[in-house]
Amino acid sequence: MSATSTDQQAGAVRHTRQAAASSRQASRRRAHSPVHPRRSAPLTIVMVLMLAYTLVPLLWLLLSATKDGPSLFSSFGLWFGHGFHLFSNIHAVLTFNDGIYVRWFGNTLLYSVVGAGGAALLATCGGYALAKYDFPGRRVLFAVVIGAITIPATALAVPTYLLYSKIGIVNTPWAVLLPSLSSPFGLYLIRVYAAEAVPDSLLEAARIDGASEFRTFRTVVLRLLAPGFVTVLLFTLVATWNNYFLPLIVLTNPKWFPLTVGLNQWNALASGVNSGGALVNYYPLVVTGSVLAIIPLVLAFLFLQRYWQSGLTAGGVKQ
Amino acid sequence: MSDLDTPLRPPGARRGRRTSTSPRLFGLLMFSPFFAVFAFAIVAPVLYAVYLSLFQDRLIGGSVFVGLRNYGQALEDPQLRAGLERVGVFLLIQVPIMLGLALLAALAVDSGRLRWPAVFRIGLFIPYAVPAVVAALMWGYMYGPQFGLIHQAGAKLGAQTPDLLSSSWALASIGNITTWEFVGYNMLILYAALQTVPHELYEAAAMDGAGEIRKALSIKIPGLRRALLLTTIFSIIGSFQLFNEPNVLQTLAPGVISTSYTPNMYAYNLAFNGQQFTYAASIAMILGGVTAVVAYTVQLRANRGERTR
Amino acid sequence: MLFRSSRGTGRKALAAVPAALALALTAACGSSSGGTPAASSKDALNAPVTLTFWSWAPAIAPTVKLFEQSHPDIKINLVNAGQSATEYTKLATAMKGGGAPDVAQIEYYALPQFVLSKQVADLTPYGAAALQPQYTKSAWAQVAINGGIYGYPQDTGPLVMFYRTDVFKKLGLNPPATWAEYQADAAKIHQADPTKYIGSIDPADAGGMNSLLWQAGGTPFRTTNSTTVTTNLSDDAANKVTTLWTSLIQQKQVNVTAGWTGDWWKAMGAGTYATWIAGAWAPGVIASTIPQSQADWAAAPVPQWTAGTYVSAENGGSSVAVMANSPHKAAAAAFAQWLDTDPTATQALTANGLFPATTAVLNSDAFQNASIAALGGQQANKVFADSSAHVAAGWQYLPFQVYANSVYGDTVGHAETAGTSLLDGLAAWKKQIDAYAGQEGFKVGNS
Repeated sequence: MSATSTDQQAGAVRHTRQAAASSRQASRRRAHSPVHPRRSAPLTIVMVLMLAYTLVPLLWLLLSATKDGPSLFSSFGLWFGHGFHLFSNIHAVLTFNDGIYVRWFGNTLLYSVVGAGGAALLATCGGYALAKYDFPGRRVLFAVVIGAITIPATALAVPTYLLYSKIGIVNTPWAVLLPSLSSPFGLYLIRVYAAEAVPDSLLEAARIDGASEFRTFRTVVLRLLAPGFVTVLLFTLVATWNNYFLPLIVLTNPKWFPLTVGLNQWNALASGVNSGGALVNYYPLVVTGSVLAIIPLVLAFLFLQRYWQSGLTAGGVKQ
Repeated sequence: MSDLDTPLRPPGARRGRRTSTSPRLFGLLMFSPFFAVFAFAIVAPVLYAVYLSLFQDRLIGGSVFVGLRNYGQALEDPQLRAGLERVGVFLLIQVPIMLGLALLAALAVDSGRLRWPAVFRIGLFIPYAVPAVVAALMWGYMYGPQFGLIHQAGAKLGAQTPDLLSSSWALASIGNITTWEFVGYNMLILYAALQTVPHELYEAAAMDGAGEIRKALSIKIPGLRRALLLTTIFSIIGSFQLFNEPNVLQTLAPGVISTSYTPNMYAYNLAFNGQQFTYAASIAMILGGVTAVVAYTVQLRANRGERTR
Repeated sequence: MLFRSSRGTGRKALAAVPAALALALTAACGSSSGGTPAASSKDALNAPVTLTFWSWAPAIAPTVKLFEQSHPDIKINLVNAGQSATEYTKLATAMKGGGAPDVAQIEYYALPQFVLSKQVADLTPYGAAALQPQYTKSAWAQVAINGGIYGYPQDTGPLVMFYRTDVFKKLGLNPPATWAEYQADAAKIHQADPTKYIGSIDPADAGGMNSLLWQAGGTPFRTTNSTTVTTNLSDDAANKVTTLWTSLIQQKQVNVTAGWTGDWWKAMGAGTYATWIAGAWAPGVIASTIPQSQADWAAAPVPQWTAGTYVSAENGGSSVAVMANSPHKAAAAAFAQWLDTDPTATQALTANGLFPATTAVLNSDAFQNASIAALGGQQANKVFADSSAHVAAGWQYLPFQVYANSVYGDTVGHAETAGTSLLDGLAAWKKQIDAYAGQEGFKVGNS
């Protein structure tokens, strides 16, 4: 690579950076200014009702996690029971069966960090390509992706198992990880988002300046796509964290289970369908285990939304 | 492949000494990792399921090639038809309600007229994070005809609440769970889309003295067209694939919610309890076909509407 | 009344004995005689090998540990691959695709399906026939299928009636000895307090209905020559059972509600249901889930159709089977045999909550005289053992009972919920069963 071309590329990057920065500047708006609207009481009341609707069942779950087995089935659901058993319940969850819950938790973490991160990345690359590049087969491939997601995965469980067992990945983490790397919905979302957030003029300017496509992508586009990426990451994170069907069918050994399958197994034992599970009341385990399983997602959401918010304002670009 | 390698340069571009990767090839390279994983995770099982659907695997007599007979049987299957009709009704009623609420919430959170918008944005989204088994426990507690919260609250107010798990209410109860789970999810998509509505339009509207409601109606909602279409299409797909919520409520109302309540439940039960996974595969294909046709029709109509506007 | 259920799969329970009693039992039973394994199976346990064993019963793990201690050459890879129907689906899929275990826990109602598809091994070559005298008749009958022996009985669930002593005492009633008395008491209980019922009925519980038909002398499912299945759900037993329960439901004297839900457990704890007709595994569930009510429960024989007779049935229970494609069949068979006959093992299983299938444990003094806290201290094992001895002979399951049970809720359960004739519900069930049998290549016999 000659000096000239490097210079050119550096210039291109500067150029596009400036373009991006200026368009960002132009589109920046403080919350929803210019005129700061007044707070609306009726609107707040409507939204509080909606929030109550979503949170009451969760309140029940949270309160149930503070109860021991007997009071779970004798006390009023939306208030505390006899005594406060949250910590002993948590202790029981973490130590039951030699701490299998902790193992499931670790598996879930592995599946969702690798799966969701990878899925969001692949969807971002693919969606951007679909939105901005006219490569051969683009329309057909996109139609295949959208067409394939109309077929319900639950009904494909047995064929999937048979297929995966032929290539020998059944009952290994790969059988869960590889499929979760694919997020057609994320692809769709990024395609829509990239069409709006990445101005064609920017790409052309970069080309004129001789920057390679990859360099433009890496240095400019990725930043513009960040809010879309974080949104998709959020969705894929939830999807992999709560993935149930696929792991249920492709895994047989509990040591590879994610939380959902493990909790379901406990729940099946609790539902008396048991077998000497009789000697343990699994309900408090299921309830407290569920609360612990939801917390990381809520934390991830709180954490991610900071990026999401700043990114969204920055990326609010439109021609 | 030759046209792949031809550099596609915008007119007036200066020629560099090195032939850089053409944009078309770059596009393909960027798309291929996604597609490779997609092919492995979804296309391959679908193709294999299509292959299997041409066979019949019987307890007596083993596997026999039957051609399209499974499809013929499925098309005449009254249980499949009843399930399709049921999700059709569900689609027409639940999806508008859910998307209406999601739109309202997105506009409210975006309006700046709400105290602590972040609280609502997070709060409404949390149900999406709740796994199905947990949702089962919670709604079992809410719906219980004897000790359920809704029943008890009704009794305290002196009102007779209906049995939410009876045959006349079951579909509504399922719709409620689905709405509860996905309002926040759809709100988030719509809210994200609202962020790309150009702010100049707001400024112009503010100068014209437009109120928040007019702003919402004349700028924001038109600006959300694509996102609304997206959420509609995905809700249509979700409705046709309805499985988790009825499956969860089936444990509470087994005499009302049958194993063929929705087409997806039917396919699942045939495969898992009946070992008829070849027939289940053909049902899955038919369901996929119907879903694709409906989703495509909706999209076509929406696009036509856009063109004539 | 309520039988266990889950999502219409009619999964059945194993048995339970409270832990304190069980510990005493382990100590006291040390002297009871065990089986003498056939020479071939003893040899099979001398070569080092790892066996994979699928089971979901929590009682299994500690027992497997005991095995590994006494057989250091054999390693057992114990896997909970899912419960009941989930495990069977995986088992059937794994037999096609690979990854199947050597040994598996299979409930009695599902065993014929695996026998038919030749996925479980006949244990006769491994000396199984000699072990028959060690088991109760009804347990053995459920593993002896088509002239072969396809598993060892692990646990059973003889049918009994659990009842609330407080409810009956308050009304000055004795627990009903016949179904006629049961019906009369049902009216009295509901009349005295309209929020109370003599019991509940679960629209998903095919296993419960099967037990009722069994106890009424019915044999609705017949398989001949492995390929002809005959379903008769309109015989005398079906008529008796459905007439009674249709009436109870229509008079609102039993409550139709899904079992094992939060709502149902609350009702059970609150004394809403005066009786619960279930297998002998129930006390453990009462002790662990609604201990606040355990002083109020007691067990009595299941009500009879004819006064002065005693006919009972089974409700639940599992076998341990050896998979046909296991490369270590001899060792697997020897392990399964140890698990379900060796005194160390059977006592450990009982101690960990399973209701025994072997006569050695059932007849031991420690077992018979144990007082059960979950049943107000009653020496209820006598009641259970008595029920076990009176199980009606001749019951058979369909070679696709898993499927049949899964559509029970759509048909009979639907009739229960709608309050229509249960006999019509059974007819609808039979129609589904016959249709499935035809699709799967069976000849459908005329009943």
